[in-house]
Amino acid sequence: MRTYVLGLGNVLMGDDGFGPTVVRAFDDAFDAGADVEVVDVGTPGLDLMPWLFDADRVVIVDTVKSDGAPGTIKLYDKADILRHLPTARIGPHDPGVKEALLTLEFAGRGPREVVLVGVIPKTVGMATELSAPVAGAVPDAVTALVDVLTGLGHMVRRRAVCEVAPPWWSETVSPAGTSTAS
Amino acid sequence: MSTHITVDPVTRIEGHLRIDVEVEGGVVKKAWSSGQMFRGIERILIGRDPRDAWLFTQRFCGVCTTVHAITSVRAVENALKLEIPPNAQYIRNLIVAAHAMHDHIVHFYQLSALDWVDVVSALKADVPKTAALAASLSDWPGNSQKEFQAVKDRLAGFVSKGQLGIFTNGYWGHPAMKLSPEVNLLAVTHYLQALDYQRRVNKVVAILGSKTPNIQNLAVGGVANAINLDNDATLNMARLYEVKDLLDSVKQFIEQVYFVDVCAIGAMYAEWLKYGGGVNNFLAVPDLPLDAKATAFDLPGGTIFNLDLKNVKSITSFEDPYFQKNVSESIAHSWYDGDWQKHPYEEETVPKYTSYDPNKDYSWIKAPRFDGHPMQVGPLAQVLVGFATGHEPTVRWAKKTLDTAGKIAGTTLPPTVLYSTLGRHAARMIRTCVISELADKHWNLLAENIGKGDTRIFNEPVFPKGEQQGFGFHEAPRGTLSHWVVIEDGKIKNYQAVVPSTWNAGPRDAKDQAGPYEASLVGNPIADTEKPLEVLRTVHSFDPCIACAIHTLDVEGRELSRVLAL
Repeated sequence: MRTYVLGLGNVLMGDDGFGPTVVRAFDDAFDAGADVEVVDVGTPGLDLMPWLFDADRVVIVDTVKSDGAPGTIKLYDKADILRHLPTARIGPHDPGVKEALLTLEFAGRGPREVVLVGVIPKTVGMATELSAPVAGAVPDAVTALVDVLTGLGHMVRRRAVCEVAPPWWSETVSPAGTSTAS
Repeated sequence: MSTHITVDPVTRIEGHLRIDVEVEGGVVKKAWSSGQMFRGIERILIGRDPRDAWLFTQRFCGVCTTVHAITSVRAVENALKLEIPPNAQYIRNLIVAAHAMHDHIVHFYQLSALDWVDVVSALKADVPKTAALAASLSDWPGNSQKEFQAVKDRLAGFVSKGQLGIFTNGYWGHPAMKLSPEVNLLAVTHYLQALDYQRRVNKVVAILGSKTPNIQNLAVGGVANAINLDNDATLNMARLYEVKDLLDSVKQFIEQVYFVDVCAIGAMYAEWLKYGGGVNNFLAVPDLPLDAKATAFDLPGGTIFNLDLKNVKSITSFEDPYFQKNVSESIAHSWYDGDWQKHPYEEETVPKYTSYDPNKDYSWIKAPRFDGHPMQVGPLAQVLVGFATGHEPTVRWAKKTLDTAGKIAGTTLPPTVLYSTLGRHAARMIRTCVISELADKHWNLLAENIGKGDTRIFNEPVFPKGEQQGFGFHEAPRGTLSHWVVIEDGKIKNYQAVVPSTWNAGPRDAKDQAGPYEASLVGNPIADTEKPLEVLRTVHSFDPCIACAIHTLDVEGRELSRVLAL
């Protein structure tokens, strides 16, 4: 059964880049087989729907608003995400995960199962690096992803050769231009 | 006695668009549009390699990723005077076209139809009557009694479970909602069907761009799509035909569903063809270049001042000096240090927040101007420029729209009705019909060129020592987008993006000239100051997209949005 692992967030906005960073770190270190697709989706708003339309199960990694220390990881399920209905909005691009899930549910589509691996951010502002407590939570979030996927019945193996290249958005990016060739 | 309404939905996107209106006698007298988040993200590019800029710019906004990527490579190519191979031009054009169709379908159905469609009212619809009405409007196979009944049943289930929250901005039961239950059921049915078609056209972007959102196939100098008709791993005939099938099915939806729905809703809300015109200067840039040098385009560009269509001035190339010289930005009413109006190459972005004061500074958005004038950008500008320059497909689809809506309304609609809130929706649909035809054309251009044995996709960029300046533009779904880059010794020295929603949502300038959102709200009726649906209708008609660059998921349900009527 197909599972999508989606990293949500903006890599140019400090801790908001947690989701993309975690799915990248997971993908560098682990192989979850052909039934698991790992994607950094950025901040797509309702454009998340094409990813969720046919999906049976989705694991999302994102920052969450919650009480607690920055860097704290919290897990939520679909019912948690849908429990609080979205509020009125003016920018048509505000809606996100919750709205995309509800819209697809109305259409009789979308994933049966959703797990959200959330982290409490410290600073969300223009930066290409995570804050210390949130960067420190990346390994725990990767472990959480491994557990969640294993729980969903996927065989998750550590890669024999683990090549961890700095992401293209990092300050320490390799000689410029190389990232465009991939 | 006037009432002041603030619509400040600080939703889960931190800092966003805030609209203030002053209402007197049930009509908006004055309006202010304020961007509530500092947007200086271009600074992150300084010192980086220009070949990587597009990877960063496509993260400026989570929804408009493709457009910022395309515009960025065009800007750097302009600075280097670098041509790209025809295949690269056509592949980019197909991505541009597919992205625009996707964006417009989602905007109309998922993001703004509910300003006009009362979802709950659809529960009262008579299904056979709905089917008969639908058959009188279109041959669409998805308009069957069985389909309408299924949607009505599903809606009833959804309402009984109390899950209507997704339609919170729908204000169902609002006195300004006027459609019959049957039309509402028809629209809700198409709302659901649109989910499938936006997904199909999005797949075109994914196939050609390797991924979406955030395409991977661009390069300064061309594209990275290897073309080899005998190789399964590259762009080959099987992939090209997959793209064609998707484009064909979406074209049918656009012409038989989207076109008809906009005509019908326009006819049934004819009073909204009188309000919401706003700033009467328009700007659009040409797009879908037809050759390597980009000397000819399939979509026209130009400027119109004071709605004087006869004196349209064309913008005709990626080097156009008329465009290059006349763009500037004012910070007279924005939270930045200084009080200047500058050309993008010379701008700096130094934030200086004071407080929200409509008489002084009230927005993080700068106020772009063209030759000192505020300009309205977006589909209405695109269609008016097309109309004024005699662009055949635009003229044909615009006339067909006015004829069809006029017939449903039992009246004759002149082209001037497009200059309104609902006219903006009509213009967006007209543009989508035009782009859908042109996507076909550019698919053929690509297939023919590859058929001739041309598989070139990339010309290597070379960065000379010293300083170069370049600008790139793209006529994005929301309007004219331009990037301005200064390169020194192969590194980015300055970068500015002048985005469509800045043109439209920007504040007043030093001469106190209002921006398009502000001007378009004046004169709008407000039936209920507690639920200013009319404000949302007009602002949504622009398809605002401000600072989508940030979000944090609120799963614990804080109340984050408010409508204040004082």
